[in-house]
Amino acid sequence: MTRTTRTACVWCPDWPVTAARRRDPELAGVPVVVRERIGSRDVVRCASSEARADGVTRGMRRREAEARSPGVVCIDADPAYEARAFEVVARAIETVTPRVVLDRPGRCDFPTRGPARYFGGDEALAAHVHSVVAATGFGEGVRVGIADGMFAARLAARHARASEVGVHVVAPGESAVFLTPWPVSTLNNEALVSLLVRLGLRTLGSVAALPNDAVLARFGTDGRVFHELARGLDPGPPVLVTPPPDLVEQCELDPPATRVDVAAFAAKGLADRLLERLAERGLACTQVIVEAETEYGERLARTWRHDKALTPAALSERVRWQLDGWLAAQAPVVAAGDRRAQQDADVMADVDTAAGALTLVRLVPDEVVPADGRQLGFWGGDQAARDRADRALARVQGMLGYDAVATAVVQGGRTPVEQVRWVPWGEPREPERPLTIDGEVPAWPGALPPPYPARVFAPPLPAELLDGDGRPVRVSGRGESGPRPAWLWCRALPAGGGTVRSAAGPWPHDVRWWDPATRSRRVLWQLVVMTEDAGEIACIAAVENGSATVEAVYD
Amino acid sequence: MARAEIPDGLPLSAIAARVQPFVAARERLLPVALPLGNHLPNGGVQRGTTVVVDGRRGVGVTTTTLMLAAAATTTGEWAAIVDPDGTVGARAAADAGVELERCAVVRRVPRDRWSAVVAALLDGAALVAATVPDRLRPGDARRLIAKARERSSVLVAVGPWPVEAALRLHVEPSAWERASSGLLTRRDIVVHVEGRGVRAPMRLAHAV
Repeated sequence: MTRTTRTACVWCPDWPVTAARRRDPELAGVPVVVRERIGSRDVVRCASSEARADGVTRGMRRREAEARSPGVVCIDADPAYEARAFEVVARAIETVTPRVVLDRPGRCDFPTRGPARYFGGDEALAAHVHSVVAATGFGEGVRVGIADGMFAARLAARHARASEVGVHVVAPGESAVFLTPWPVSTLNNEALVSLLVRLGLRTLGSVAALPNDAVLARFGTDGRVFHELARGLDPGPPVLVTPPPDLVEQCELDPPATRVDVAAFAAKGLADRLLERLAERGLACTQVIVEAETEYGERLARTWRHDKALTPAALSERVRWQLDGWLAAQAPVVAAGDRRAQQDADVMADVDTAAGALTLVRLVPDEVVPADGRQLGFWGGDQAARDRADRALARVQGMLGYDAVATAVVQGGRTPVEQVRWVPWGEPREPERPLTIDGEVPAWPGALPPPYPARVFAPPLPAELLDGDGRPVRVSGRGESGPRPAWLWCRALPAGGGTVRSAAGPWPHDVRWWDPATRSRRVLWQLVVMTEDAGEIACIAAVENGSATVEAVYD
Repeated sequence: MARAEIPDGLPLSAIAARVQPFVAARERLLPVALPLGNHLPNGGVQRGTTVVVDGRRGVGVTTTTLMLAAAATTTGEWAAIVDPDGTVGARAAADAGVELERCAVVRRVPRDRWSAVVAALLDGAALVAATVPDRLRPGDARRLIAKARERSSVLVAVGPWPVEAALRLHVEPSAWERASSGLLTRRDIVVHVEGRGVRAPMRLAHAV
């Protein structure tokens, strides 16, 4: 099942505006709009609170924004500078926890388990993080939210506005209740949100109240992810794969790079190569660690997350931002009259590091998912077949119930039933007891060797196992079986059973002997039964507490 | 193809379907692994057809079915198994060559919804192996045959199939080979193949 990690989210609202004001102090107190170009349109990317008070909203055309708010100052978006400035905040948070994950400039999150214990609880941690970030001078309106899972934590950070302290902590297990009143538009999928609204499902609570099967049948796998988010579960990336250890890309910079364009050029090649090699294995990357070493031997590392699989352009952009942040942090030599560089230097002077030039850049894939839909067949091919299968199976799940459609995962165990885990279709295929642990194959004493039975009964079917004198075969207190079986009767066998031709075993199992409540002692037999009209039938029989069962048939 | 034949505004997928090249019969085949494939016409099962597997319980019907299901997953397609009792052994399936990741098993199917479930699965999976309930109505069976033909999927009916089928595999009782300790080692499943493209009913053996 899905596990949710308790997560803290640090959010600096209107980060582009904050960064711009930091660079140009004259902008403080005046309405500011950061604009960007989307295609041929010139739209508002972010507006300051003064501009918003005049009715300027995100996504509005620039001309309309200027009409609504006379005297507004329009500046161009500069994502690289925003990312560079956010490095100051990230470093401040890094004094609290090493596991900071950047989501975009202005927002980052980290798991709270360790730091919350150290600082004495979630509230204390949140307050501490808030004060640390506020101390950087960038803390204008910073908000900290802590909840179960990333989605709830982000909303908690948004909710923090209501309280004066800029901190909101949702108690463990309360996330589902906390999410109930939020509108569905907080889920980041426009098509689905508009459909939900038209169906009258306006809040997360109303989505969460729907039965699982119905959501799956009506909205497909996208809907299921929504449903889990709305119920306060964190679906995370669909299936995480352990990143292959050799998929680390690095390059040495000789001479050491002091300018970001030199380092970024090298990093661009790294990013392309990393994604290419992942794609060769049918994998894509959603979270990456950017590492660098400086000429003084300092090692820097920062994690970046992306909601979807990283494209080469998105990855190299993030790497560039990060390298830029590190290089700018070492107080560059300022050319006279270069006002912007001077202010950059002022910003970065807050950061206590003497990094120096970069000598090595390394990219480590941190979260890797199977890439689906990248390798299209010429006539539609793979992706079309997968979509078709997904739709049909979701429909059957809607008809029969979510658990009715399953896939099997082979796992460790002794009996044929234990060796397989049935996972509902669409859930991560993870074994409970992996077949290999760190490359070693754990031994399961008493497991039967191959061939494996094609029919496995769970629960096992009651049977009668008799010895030559017609008495039931039993297990002694020491796990030893008495006389060999001679007759087996069970409804799983044709003609109800017959004489035992040959018997292999017994395999004694002393299960959980250390636990009086659940311990059991049984023996397994592999039998070949001669039936009247179907010849030899092979099966696995078990004897436990004096009663026999048939566990599996080699059909 | 002349340009004028494709009207404007047609979605790309529809155009692809129109200009899709002629598909040879051989390409409409799901090749079945040896040794079973050796004894089937063209070495596999034709897409859009229905195959019946029957025999007494325990003689190797399930293993034979799994070998057919493996034909779909090894070509990169999806397979579905309808198993109302919920007893298919996954390790045996993996041994028969089925890729478990692309094989959905539908369990706990009520009798009255069996046909609807199989029809829905034929829409999505390249091969559907379904255990047939007792006394299936011939009309329902014919509808499923038509559905399989329309969707170019293979329907493998396991059990008493009331109507005709392209291929019938009848599994007959066979003997197990055992090590001196009594441990099972292998057996030759005896399959009686009958149907279109098979010259005479064949009785043949293949190993597990």
